[in-house]
Amino acid sequence: MALTLTLVVPAVVAVWLLAAGRRYAPRTARGLALIASVVTFLLTLVTVALRTEVDAPWVTSLGLRWHFAVDGVTIPLALLTAALGIAVVVHARGREPGRPGGAIGPSGGNSAATYYACLLLVEFGALATFFARDAILFFVAFEVVLVPMWVLISRFGDDHATERARADASNRFVLFTALGSTLMLLGILVLVVQSGTSDLGLLAAAHGAGLSAPTQVLVATLLVIGLGIKVPLWPVHTWLPPAHTIAPTAGSVLLAAVLLKMGTYGIIRLAIPTVPEGFHVVAPFLAASGAIGILWGGLACLVERDLKRLVAYSSVAHMGFVALGLASGTQTGMQAALFGNVAHGLVSALLFFVVGGLKERWGSADLTVARDALRDVSPRMGFALVVGFASALGLPGLVGFWGEFLAVYAAWTPAEGLPVPLFRICAVAGVVGMSLAAAYSLRVLRLVWAGHQNWTGPVGPAPRRSRRDDAHGAELLVVLALVALVIGLGVVPKPLLGATETDVTVLVPRSSPVGPASSATGGTTVEASGP
Amino acid sequence: MTVLTTTTVQLLVLLPALGALAGLLLRRRRAFSGLVAVAAAALAFVLSVFQFAETAGRSDVVPTFGPLPVGELQIPLNLLADRTSAVIAVVVAIVGLAVQVFSVWYLRDDSRYAVFASTVSLFLAAMLLVVQSNDLVLTLVGWEVMGWCSYLLIGHVSARESARRAAYKAFLVTRVADIGFVVGLVILAVGAGSTDIGTVMAHWAGQQGSGTAALVTGSPVLTAALVLLLAGVAGKSGLIPFHDWLPDAMEGPTPASALIHAATMVAAGTYVVARLHLLFAISDTARIVLGVLAALTMVWAALLAFAQTDIKRMLAYSTLSQIAVMASALAFVLGPDEAPRLALGHLFSHALFKSLLFLAVGWLSVLAGGTAFVALRGRARGRGALYWSLAVGLASLAGLPPLVGFFSKEGVLFAAEESLSGHDAGLAWFVLLALVVTAGLTAAYCTRAWLLLSTERQGGLVELEAEEGQDESSEEAAPAGDEAATGAHEARPVTMAAALTVSALAVLTVVGGLLLIPVSNGIHLGLVMTVVSLLVIGLAFLGVRAMAAAGHDPARRLGPAVADLSDRGFGFDAVYVAAGRAVIAVARLVVRLDRDVVDAYPRGAASLTGIAGRLGEKAHRAAPSAGLLAVVVGVVLIAVAGVTVWH
Repeated sequence: MALTLTLVVPAVVAVWLLAAGRRYAPRTARGLALIASVVTFLLTLVTVALRTEVDAPWVTSLGLRWHFAVDGVTIPLALLTAALGIAVVVHARGREPGRPGGAIGPSGGNSAATYYACLLLVEFGALATFFARDAILFFVAFEVVLVPMWVLISRFGDDHATERARADASNRFVLFTALGSTLMLLGILVLVVQSGTSDLGLLAAAHGAGLSAPTQVLVATLLVIGLGIKVPLWPVHTWLPPAHTIAPTAGSVLLAAVLLKMGTYGIIRLAIPTVPEGFHVVAPFLAASGAIGILWGGLACLVERDLKRLVAYSSVAHMGFVALGLASGTQTGMQAALFGNVAHGLVSALLFFVVGGLKERWGSADLTVARDALRDVSPRMGFALVVGFASALGLPGLVGFWGEFLAVYAAWTPAEGLPVPLFRICAVAGVVGMSLAAAYSLRVLRLVWAGHQNWTGPVGPAPRRSRRDDAHGAELLVVLALVALVIGLGVVPKPLLGATETDVTVLVPRSSPVGPASSATGGTTVEASGP
Repeated sequence: MTVLTTTTVQLLVLLPALGALAGLLLRRRRAFSGLVAVAAAALAFVLSVFQFAETAGRSDVVPTFGPLPVGELQIPLNLLADRTSAVIAVVVAIVGLAVQVFSVWYLRDDSRYAVFASTVSLFLAAMLLVVQSNDLVLTLVGWEVMGWCSYLLIGHVSARESARRAAYKAFLVTRVADIGFVVGLVILAVGAGSTDIGTVMAHWAGQQGSGTAALVTGSPVLTAALVLLLAGVAGKSGLIPFHDWLPDAMEGPTPASALIHAATMVAAGTYVVARLHLLFAISDTARIVLGVLAALTMVWAALLAFAQTDIKRMLAYSTLSQIAVMASALAFVLGPDEAPRLALGHLFSHALFKSLLFLAVGWLSVLAGGTAFVALRGRARGRGALYWSLAVGLASLAGLPPLVGFFSKEGVLFAAEESLSGHDAGLAWFVLLALVVTAGLTAAYCTRAWLLLSTERQGGLVELEAEEGQDESSEEAAPAGDEAATGAHEARPVTMAAALTVSALAVLTVVGGLLLIPVSNGIHLGLVMTVVSLLVIGLAFLGVRAMAAAGHDPARRLGPAVADLSDRGFGFDAVYVAAGRAVIAVARLVVRLDRDVVDAYPRGAASLTGIAGRLGEKAHRAAPSAGLLAVVVGVVLIAVAGVTVWH
């Protein structure tokens, strides 16, 4: 019951806002949205605590069931989504479209209600995706987020950008994602038709039994490409930077922290357990794509001039680590991917809140414009930026480190039967990518936080009275909460790793890693030749 | 007992970290944040002494958060308390405490003092984590956090572009070197299926048989892992070719330099190698790489130190040289655990005299208004405790008996001497030669520094003009911005606490030889090498004094071009810049490919669809019946296909 309510509440309030919201003042709309998101979060907590499940027939002619459940893989992502659902609503305070000084979208018209409705719809779709236990249902939920996100980008996007740029970004988003969904739907249909059930639990338990090898490869290929567009994997990532650049702050946050996770989650839920043999064939390509993405994104960030695009490219790099972990086919890799998923959710949310906030203040996010040092004029924003980028470069003690280090480890010792040399090259690429991340992160901090080299104005800390532009109120609250999570889970990663542990053992059978075997043979030969 | 040890060790790492957090939260209240910082360091010192008392003759594995559940890999996250960790923890805590007490005075007028003190606390916590770690992951955590703290400290005075650049360079160079470190750690961990250092060593060493370990060539996998690991060590410890970040790091405030050079960052590399020395004992190749890198670095850095025009940069090069001296001891295998003890002995003594030198120079620079030798000329005269502190520090660096630097350096010479007849004879001769040359060069630059600090200039106006240009660029990280450093001579009397700190370090440097006994397991002196090194030191002293006749700067005798080149580290920075440029060029290529190739397909697909649409529209208008027909046929086809597949 709690589970159904978790989904119904945001959906109903969203529809309410869409239908009747035009008459409401922005304050009322925000109040409704806030209540809805808080209630959703509490319900999610209850759902997670009780581990409830609903399973009722829905469209019987299609064999489609209203089947939602919670397990360890779902929990972190569901909590992340519900928590960010509150954050984006809180953060929008004072920024509503149509308000004087509102920072979201082209002003004019009372569209605050639509804006909040879109946020809630995205939250609803994401939660439904994470809870879904039926392949067809998963697809339906996956598609729900498409339209509201399109509206967020095209209608509430950056009003400094031209109409054309906004249309291009939002259309790209929709078309890329729709193509991905189509491929995924094909994969799901083949899988469901061939195995005779759409229940994800049964499909996972079967571990691909009864499916011929070519079918498995076909399904895995379709699913990985289809979902990979959403992740996004290299080379189908080119929709992401424009979408992030144009989207309003909340849109960027949801896009990076929630929508991208639906892609990797889909691979974990749909592809890996249901068609293990097929995934095994696809895995090397996935690893290579992830590794190229890590280097590609990192390099692009080194010369990118727009701060928001830069964070978007860094997302491509970070999701590359997740792909690498998934491809390794080991439990360590799976844990790395799940941790990296959540870590990137938190870090990218933090970075987009801060960078979006800076863009609102500056009017643009161009890094070549010399500005006064952030640590002098807005120390709070500066601190959040430092924590965000420190985590982006994989600094241990912050949340980004664990997923990336473990992914590298897992790639060094992939599951049996996978091409070890390729995976080791990918692992090295991952480590090289971590130093590229250091280079671009510190590049941003040097230009924005420590002081721009071309800045000619006064230097040194500004007096506290003149720091009115710094983060305060709702913005400060959201940013500080994320900073606390980034540091907290970075120092104590065990709860998050522990949450996913048992379910990972169900999804991936424990493999005997390649490393010890090969080195052991190396050892024996040496011993034989010794004295 | 064990519970006590457990708590002690856990708190030893945790308290400075909490101190950093508290200091940051209390940053508006200067007095509080100073108090918290000093208290955290003091408590760490007490705990480290406690650990030292507890670990006599035994070692304990100390749990932390418990093992991480990450599938096949074991990550137990344990700490280790033994004699080695205890001794190094003590010296780290001593230096940390000294730095914190000193910076309360030194950064008195700095509006970011609280952030500085918190960063130092975090730095201490990270170093103590590396010292106590019994898990490769924890070592990596401490290792990287130290790099981050050094970034923050070097860039502390971020108003200066040179400080921003130095901080960026320091982090990036060490991070690039860490590519090797991480891959090396991963290989070691993959082999053992665990990141526990004990398990890792047992796994890799166990493959080789135990007794004759030194005579067996290590497996290629192990050698590869260790050489990669050494790349990271070279980055942190400033071995060639990663050494050039360290002199630039002098942009940080002087107490930060004391911390980075004496007991943390650069020393961490030596410590990690010492911890894993059992594995290095197996792999000849890795030890040869280490020995050769160390030998080259120690001579090169000592040469560069001689002609520096800024005393802080001279000290930075001396650090490079001395760290290489430590590392060179690790290239040998003596008795069980003996070589690492000798290396750590030099780490111990270097920590004492280098922190002494940096803090004393910081003190002097406030009095004299800069760290360039021009500004400091003759400034040490008549300063009482400061005069003697500088004298003791430089003498110890030069390796004069009976100071602590003499004993520990002789220990390293002893290690090389002992190996002359053994398996590593070739390497030992090479390293020994480098050590003797370094001893001479070190004595030479110390003599020069001392002569410049303690004698007045006599008619050397020409030199002054030549060096004027240097003065500006190498200006000391002034505590209160730029004007205070140049104008405020004698304006801020030193506090008793700061003066006592420097004096206490001086006393420790004098009596440190006794403290060395538990570190190195007794004093090791090779008779021949002692005589040789003292002879070399004496000759160097006399030579430099002769060059300095009539109050000239001895380095000027070499000509201005040499000094200029030395100041710029022989242009090594250009290599890094070129590497950076190459990466940027690749990045530009990637961006271009991203736009013109990867994204061309979607754009192409879009325009193709558009064209098809327009064509279709035309066709439709031209012959509606054909269009209708096509639709009908299509619908029928889809329906048939759907029914057959769904069936």
